[in-house]
Amino acid sequence: MRVSMPHMGNLYIPFKALFQRLDIDFVIPPISNQRTLSLGTKYSPEGLCIPFKLALGNLIEAAEMGADALIMPVGNGICRLGYYAQTQEQILHEIGYANVRVVRIGISEHKLLGLLKTIKYLANNASWPRIISTFRFGLTKLNALDRIERIVQKVRAVELVKGTANQLFAQAVDAIDKADDYNTLKKAQADYLDRLDRIPKDPQAQPLLVGIIGEFYVLLEPFSNLDVESELGKLGVEVRRTTFTSSWTKFSLFLNSLGINEKDRIHRAALPYLKRDIGGEGWESVGEKVLHAKEYDGIIHLAPFTCMPEVVAQNIMPSTRESIPILTLICDEQTTKTGMLTRLEAFVDLLQRKRRAGTNKQPRVTVRGGYT
Amino acid sequence: MKAYLGIDVGSVTTKLAVLDENNKLIAHTYLLTSGKPTAMVQQGLVQIKEHLPPDAEISGVATTGSARYLAGVVVGADLVKNEITSHATAALFYFPQVQTIIEIGGQDSKIIIIRDEIVTDFGMNTVCAAGTGSFLDHQALRLNMSIEEFSRRAMNHQTPVRIAGRCTVFAESDMIHKQQMGHRIEDIIYGLCQALVRNYLNNVGLGKEIKPPIVFQGGVAFNQAIVRAFQEELATEVIVPPHHEIMGAIGAALLAHEEMTGYNNRRSQFKGLDVSQIKYNTSSFECKACPNLCEIAQLQTDSQVLARWGGRCDLWERAPSEEAK
Repeated sequence: MRVSMPHMGNLYIPFKALFQRLDIDFVIPPISNQRTLSLGTKYSPEGLCIPFKLALGNLIEAAEMGADALIMPVGNGICRLGYYAQTQEQILHEIGYANVRVVRIGISEHKLLGLLKTIKYLANNASWPRIISTFRFGLTKLNALDRIERIVQKVRAVELVKGTANQLFAQAVDAIDKADDYNTLKKAQADYLDRLDRIPKDPQAQPLLVGIIGEFYVLLEPFSNLDVESELGKLGVEVRRTTFTSSWTKFSLFLNSLGINEKDRIHRAALPYLKRDIGGEGWESVGEKVLHAKEYDGIIHLAPFTCMPEVVAQNIMPSTRESIPILTLICDEQTTKTGMLTRLEAFVDLLQRKRRAGTNKQPRVTVRGGYT
Repeated sequence: MKAYLGIDVGSVTTKLAVLDENNKLIAHTYLLTSGKPTAMVQQGLVQIKEHLPPDAEISGVATTGSARYLAGVVVGADLVKNEITSHATAALFYFPQVQTIIEIGGQDSKIIIIRDEIVTDFGMNTVCAAGTGSFLDHQALRLNMSIEEFSRRAMNHQTPVRIAGRCTVFAESDMIHKQQMGHRIEDIIYGLCQALVRNYLNNVGLGKEIKPPIVFQGGVAFNQAIVRAFQEELATEVIVPPHHEIMGAIGAALLAHEEMTGYNNRRSQFKGLDVSQIKYNTSSFECKACPNLCEIAQLQTDSQVLARWGGRCDLWERAPSEEAK
């Protein structure tokens, strides 16, 4: 049995650590790229969303590498994702990977126990203490990655040489991936946080603060959103996002089972406009917009094309009392970088002029044209 | 006399506008891009040179439109700006009270919402060109009339026919159907104008608060019938500025002026109006550094590569001046 899984940002790193330590035969498909997307699009029903298509592309590329046990999340009531694993398994069988099995991990119920049981099964019934200890090590890697990414989001906006933080981030990901014990991991984290701190920055910069909200997968997989965060960084914008793989794992695997839900606060904020979960992250998108309207200069809302929950959220958001400029970007295999950049540049201009007008109330003195 | 040049290279047309120090329009030109943005920018500069007062000295240049980066490298722009900001800047300059800008060009259409002289929201057409100039051009061509005649005859409608305007393909088959039923051509083409307006308002304008004063910019504003259809649908006046077709270029020129005279007081990078003597080549290649296989486009002269773009990462953009690939 050879195990693999689809990509979502850097999620493969903690899983790789976990599987290696449990002596599971494990392969990582290539990082999502144009070929992944072409493969996924070719074999997917057209109306499905980009998370489905990219994940299918990853699974096909994993199957090409000989993987036959492919992990996919499933769940009840979240959205069409509930059926993705079954559909993908059927597609893989139809295109010739007859022996491939898609191993489903429930993320709406069972949670932690379900995940651990799946790992135990994949690890050929390894002992519980061994599973728990390796699982903890994987989580520590995940936390380290997300801590560094949070700093990268800040540095990108103010670094003097654009692209430096991204280069360091790529090296940091590599170092964390290679770290074999807690000590090395801790050292790598401290080392890269320090190096990020020492990147030459513009001391005068007062970067705009833009919140990124929307559907989970397109938020966390840069390939699917055309790396919107780096593009904003190039435009001198600091990006803030509440959804991180580590916090999501922490809550959905541990704290939720104890009745603690980080999302309660977000849901409460959304209540005047949307009273219930509508699947996906629709409820959260509305709540986050309301919650952060005062705190951010603007919000970018990411949604996969044909994503019903996010379309509903998109139509509720402009009418909330808490107002803030918001730009919805639809992610799809048809989305082009040029189109996205034009919108981002215009949005950043809008926010900059708004901020300037807010801080400088006296009217601009310009010579007017003669048409009026 | 200092002057500021704005260049707007769109998908269908290329526009150049020069403003003097008082932001008065002193020269402008409007050309078809014909799929050759570099050559058209050069040709535009030749025409501008003919119109320009001899004492005018270009002290700042900004480019905008979908070929803004390419044009920026060709002329040596001081500022490269997106078309939304450029259009808003021009509209606000002439009509400070404007609250809504409708802009319809060759391949895209936009709406810009302005409150208290600041852009607060905007929208662009995403997947469909049913509401743009190219579609009208195509339909006029199919009916064997010039776009001017199309506009003139549409104004002669009596009882407009309802055309399904959701999609160009459906609109076209619906138009043919109505022709074969024996409706007057004037009524059909005005019906098409109404369909285009409905399509615009239901797609680009969806969820936007459209308040007067409304300014209508872009090449399609030449079409009287579309203006009329907007006024009927919105039940309010729609202002078409005298230079509506070059407002993007005017906006860019205004932004160039602001950029060069503001706090930073820079020297212009402009390569001069004689840039048309230089021979530019554009080409592209597939980058093989990773499986993304990005198509990298490059602009070069005989001796050096001036710029590269089109990659997902900045591998090629970082070193534009090395050997041509």
